[in-house]
Amino acid sequence: MTAHKSSLFSRLARRVAVVLALGAATLITAAWFYARAAADEAYDRLLLGAAFQMAESLVVADDRLSFVLPPSAFELLGLAQRDRIFYRVVDPSGETLTGYGDISPSADLSRSRAAPVFANMAYRGVEVRTVTTARAVTSQSGTGWAYVIVAQTTEARQALASELTTRAVILVAAMSLLALIGSALAIRLSLRPVDQLGDILRQRDPQDLTPLAATVPRELLPFVTSINHFINRLDERVRLLQRYIADSAHQIRTPLTALTAQVSLINEDTLSPDDRRHLERVRNRTAELARFTNQLLNHAMVIHRFDSTQLAPVSLNDVARKAFRATVPITIDPDMVVSFEASEEELTVLGDLLSLREAIANVIDNALRHGATSRLEVRATRFGDLGRIEVCDDGPGIPPEDWANVTKRFYSSRTEKGSSGLGFAIASEVAFELGGQIGFRGKTAGLPFCVYIDLPLVKEDKG
Amino acid sequence: MRILLVEDTHDVGEAICRRFQQTGHTVDWETDGSAASDILAYTEYDLVILDVMLPGLDGFSILRKLRQSKSGVPVLVLTARSEIDDRVGALDLGADDYLMKPFDFRELEARARVLLRRRSGGEATNVIACGDISLDRTNRSVMVGKREVQLKRREMTLLEILASRPGKVFSKEELLDQLFGFDEAAGANAIELYIGRLRKKLEGAKARIVTLRGVGYQLVSDDGP
Repeated sequence: MTAHKSSLFSRLARRVAVVLALGAATLITAAWFYARAAADEAYDRLLLGAAFQMAESLVVADDRLSFVLPPSAFELLGLAQRDRIFYRVVDPSGETLTGYGDISPSADLSRSRAAPVFANMAYRGVEVRTVTTARAVTSQSGTGWAYVIVAQTTEARQALASELTTRAVILVAAMSLLALIGSALAIRLSLRPVDQLGDILRQRDPQDLTPLAATVPRELLPFVTSINHFINRLDERVRLLQRYIADSAHQIRTPLTALTAQVSLINEDTLSPDDRRHLERVRNRTAELARFTNQLLNHAMVIHRFDSTQLAPVSLNDVARKAFRATVPITIDPDMVVSFEASEEELTVLGDLLSLREAIANVIDNALRHGATSRLEVRATRFGDLGRIEVCDDGPGIPPEDWANVTKRFYSSRTEKGSSGLGFAIASEVAFELGGQIGFRGKTAGLPFCVYIDLPLVKEDKG
Repeated sequence: MRILLVEDTHDVGEAICRRFQQTGHTVDWETDGSAASDILAYTEYDLVILDVMLPGLDGFSILRKLRQSKSGVPVLVLTARSEIDDRVGALDLGADDYLMKPFDFRELEARARVLLRRRSGGEATNVIACGDISLDRTNRSVMVGKREVQLKRREMTLLEILASRPGKVFSKEELLDQLFGFDEAAGANAIELYIGRLRKKLEGAKARIVTLRGVGYQLVSDDGP
């Protein structure tokens, strides 16, 4: 599963943004309602005041109800400059005394006797707010109720409401933006341990099998714990495997040594020529068995070392000299000229001393066993950006068509009897693990056959 | 020479004992680590051949104790474990040489001989040089220019004799005496053989072995006297 979901940050940010947007919408809706209510309340007072003044100016004269429009009422309503005003005065008999007869907010005007009644209606195609007030009028014909209905278009109150709403919207938007930025910062900050853990894991050496030592928030603990659990298990496995190889090495080598020891004790002088021939074969086979066993065990050990060993700077001259001294036996044929030449400059490569020595030793061993007839030269040199260990011998060399194959395990060449075993395989695998490679140079008129191992040099810091 | 062998595998111990006894050495054979350590505390040996995996006390511990008591006896470690670290560990702890089991018995004998000789030799630390050949008597190593050339024991001795006085002519008899001593019977042909091998191994050096027919041999530097 390499597909991954969007980042935690964007997921959190998205959710927070949705919550903030919903909150803002709610607030704005509420603000709109309040603004409308406030505007209505403010202008309703004016309307009511005007209606009261108009009602006050109803007088009974000559037993007739008369109405004089008080200018102050219109001044009051004039505060809403752009709104138009309509009114209607109804006498106790229900006739329109003056004004627009077609303003009728409700059929039953008598409801306003208790308290003024406000209503919204459409009048002449525009939205108007009406108030109906009642006034008891006493004339000779008795007491009756006169009504004053004042209507006002709603432009001013709508303007007020929308202004109030706009301000609220600006406020809410500013707050939401602040909250969003704040949340983003908070999320970034809170997610930092996740990034740090990621960095620690990225920067980790893959060979490092020590547990993670990061301090992490509780939520990340299960991850770190399970990573550590896994690392521990792997470490345990590698250790177990290495111990197993070491133990089996001991178990196999001890009887093998005993076998060679006992074979070496056989007194050849008392044997018949046939038996002597058989003994020689036993001796050769035992030596072969010993060599393969060593190679197998060393191969296993070297390859598994790379699972757990951290690479360190190694001097190529040193390791080559060690391999040379360890590999060339004292009992070598005295007519063989064997030499080692170190490089004049210090060649440092990043590697594992033991694996590298084993790799070089195997190449030298192979040359001694299958190549060299009278001369073997081991050299450490610089080759451009590479450190090179060269093992040259005066033997016939390996034919070019076999070069690609001899580095395979147990490859049997057609020209040579038997298999070259694991020697080149070990050398090649070690070289590969260290970012280098094994190579061959064919025998030419002047130059002997060479096997070389190239490894990248460590860039030296000046100073 | 007196050798202590510490080896718990009977078949191996028997063969090593027999081999060294055949060449005239006295071999004490111990199979238990702690017993061997006790013996080493009060007995002088010329060489200790030490297995690593032992009952009682392991080879490394014996070696460590031995070196802590300032004993300089040469120690050759035999190891059957595949942890390659063992070899390095052994050398770090003061082993003089190691062999990985299974080993070639001739190689064991040869290495033991080198260690025994180093013990009895005890030469001063010095380097003999002639031309671009230099011979380090302590490490018994020979450099030709930048090349380190591996010489056999007799070749080394021969070069040592010739290089000790460059230009001097050594007669065959003189060399024969110094190379083989009086107890070994060797013909004049042997000298020719060793001179031949030595010449081959010093090829490319700025010094030559010159044959003066009927007189002897001398080492001559190309750089002048």
